[in-house]
Amino acid sequence: MARERILIVDDSEMNRSILTDMLDSEFDITEAENGVQAVSILQKESTKFSLVLLDIVMPEMDGFDVLRVMNRFHWIEDVPVIMVSAETASTQIERAYELGATDFIMRPFDASIVHRRVVNTILLYAKQKKLLGIVEQQIYEKEQNSSFMVDILSHIVEFRNGESGLHIRHVRTLTDFLLRKLCEATDRYQLSETDISVISMASALHDIGKMGIDEKILNKPGRLTDEEFAVMKTHTTIGAKMLEDLPVHQSNPLVIRAYEICRWHHERYDGRGYPDGIKGDEIPISAQIVALADVYDALTSERVYKKAIPHEEAVKMILEGKCGCFNPLMLQCLKENADSIREALKLDLTDHSPRHQIRNFADAVIHSKGGGASERTLRLLDYERMKHNFYAAMSEEIQFEYTTETDILMLSPWGANRLGLPENIINPKSNMALSALLGEGWWQRIAADLQKTSPEKPETGREEQLLLGGEYRWHKIILRAIWSEETPATLTGVIGKAVDVHEAHTRFDELKEKSIRDPLTKLLNRAGVREQIEKKIQNYPTHKYALACFDIDFFKLANDEHGHLFGDKVLSYIAQRLDHSIRTSDLCARIGGDEFLILFEYDTDIGPIIARIFRALCGEIDGFTVNVSMGVYEMHEEGETYEELFHRADQALYFSKRSGRAQYHLYDDSMKDILTDSEEEQANTDHHREENS
Amino acid sequence: MTLQECYAALEGNYDDVIGRLRSERLVQKFVLKFIDDGSFKLLEDSLRTQNIQEAFRAAHTIKGMCQNLSFTRLQNSSTALTEELRGGNPPSDPSLFEKVAEDYQMTVAAIEAFKASLEG
Repeated sequence: MARERILIVDDSEMNRSILTDMLDSEFDITEAENGVQAVSILQKESTKFSLVLLDIVMPEMDGFDVLRVMNRFHWIEDVPVIMVSAETASTQIERAYELGATDFIMRPFDASIVHRRVVNTILLYAKQKKLLGIVEQQIYEKEQNSSFMVDILSHIVEFRNGESGLHIRHVRTLTDFLLRKLCEATDRYQLSETDISVISMASALHDIGKMGIDEKILNKPGRLTDEEFAVMKTHTTIGAKMLEDLPVHQSNPLVIRAYEICRWHHERYDGRGYPDGIKGDEIPISAQIVALADVYDALTSERVYKKAIPHEEAVKMILEGKCGCFNPLMLQCLKENADSIREALKLDLTDHSPRHQIRNFADAVIHSKGGGASERTLRLLDYERMKHNFYAAMSEEIQFEYTTETDILMLSPWGANRLGLPENIINPKSNMALSALLGEGWWQRIAADLQKTSPEKPETGREEQLLLGGEYRWHKIILRAIWSEETPATLTGVIGKAVDVHEAHTRFDELKEKSIRDPLTKLLNRAGVREQIEKKIQNYPTHKYALACFDIDFFKLANDEHGHLFGDKVLSYIAQRLDHSIRTSDLCARIGGDEFLILFEYDTDIGPIIARIFRALCGEIDGFTVNVSMGVYEMHEEGETYEELFHRADQALYFSKRSGRAQYHLYDDSMKDILTDSEEEQANTDHHREENS
Repeated sequence: MTLQECYAALEGNYDDVIGRLRSERLVQKFVLKFIDDGSFKLLEDSLRTQNIQEAFRAAHTIKGMCQNLSFTRLQNSSTALTEELRGGNPPSDPSLFEKVAEDYQMTVAAIEAFKASLEG
């Protein structure tokens, strides 16, 4: 264990050396001749010192001035100061205590008194620091966990909205930034540091309601019709309802703030927003801020239907009221901080959550085990361990540590109880109970993870299902490898914990599933199938694949003549036929209105398979004859991208349509110049744009 | 000359200093260091140039060293001078400094004698 360091500040060389002689067998000593030197030493490395012994009467800068500086920079909170002086006037002593001195030692020095006071003060502060560390760690990790889940959720929403991954992050950064500026400018909203961080985190969830909006509307490139816009607006109430329906955590501040934000981030300060038309400060400040951040980022980002607008112009448009009506106080903040906003966003692009070195208490305990610890130290450690266990139990986490030297896995008492295992498990890798809990091969999985860490970056983690009380529950396992100090470093153990994330994980699975499925037919959607096709081809690049695209002939007619409900019925019919006809190794999806896609994996000849599917898809429903036009592309070589596959299948489909529909064709090179529907549309639009400009 | 005899010569309290610092080696080390300390010269010069603040600090340092080493006689006279100078005004009574000077010379003489006996 490193020795504690003491700074001795006294102008008399003799006084310094008397103190040094008394203390240097146990402590590392740094000396300063006067206040100025002391301050410059502390400025460089105040955290290295465990104690300052400070004289009062000194040239340049006296002891009181040093105390004042230590207060101004808050060093006094971490580094205790013992005054050392010949001054006996009680006013002087009083003044020193008022300025934060911990203790007072009178000259002439008595060696045993100096020693005892120094040791007592250092121990007292060391204990406080350790406690502080434990609490900090708990809070930090809790925040990390929720922040992590929020990131996943918001990413799913973005994935489905086809937004860049930056929108949510920008909104979050802007929300945080504007809230802070607002609090500086006014005390109307009374927000604590915690409120600000909760609101910023909750801002990431502002659009979760879009999960419930039809993708056709969500990703429509052009202008929305009135009906479509009405549907779009419901993402506010859908999001709010999702949160309201959460079976647990209703009183959690994050959920409360997220509800406010989801429901009211499209309200306007003048009451002309939606869904409730509330106005002024009836709209919670959280939602007001997110609304402004959302508008700013929407303006300055590129979208399917528009180019990015420069920062200055966006701010100007908002201030002129062209993009909605906002709280005048907020607009004032925006105006005054317009320049720093851009800086804040730029900074954000680096790293959002710097991975602090986790100040782990258990780590300190492990390291301090060596050497001849005094009885007092051991008692203190016992005490710390008792407190640590208490906090560990309160946190409801399974905490553990393992050292290769002893080959013993130690579980926290709460964790052992939760798992139904003893607190100390000798030779854990061949322990039957652990294998039953974690499944075969768990040791290899974890060992592989740990081998990938390094002394500089010792943290890692994975998700595992633990069999608890007959039920598999998802746990997030966070690990910190312990590397030895020598070079090359070797892995000597690990500390870590397992947190039950089953509920969140299940919900994540459901949402993930939702986000890649078409709600009507339950088939994969465009984004979902693309991801799976790419994964399949990447995993088995040598297999033979064919991609088929088809759409339903005269589907628009069916819609127009029999209504949308009938149209939906036809789509469901096709989906059902498709589902029955394909094999488990194939993938199928609805990728647009009446467009479908199939990926076949086959061995010898694709011809008969296609013929069978094609026949299965044609039929009759309520007097309407269902026929499809289909194009098929056989993948020829490795390394063809999804776009290439899809494009050729689409060209073959177009060929079928041109040839009179209700037929299928395999792609051949004669089709390579055919323009597909979407390309033709694109060409037309470009043409119009050129004419108009 | 022993350290104890040196303390008797400079009218200090040997038992007191040994009780606090707990080692004859340490006491001897600091006693020998005392003659190299420049505080008395600084006090003298500062008073001559009327730099009272500097003089106060020098007197204060001498007083502190005497406390640590239990040099009772010099400690008494330097304490009196320190208090006189604390307000920032020149000493009203010149004999206060003269007394310190006299005690200082006597202390240094005793230590020099002790040092000579160590070497001889």
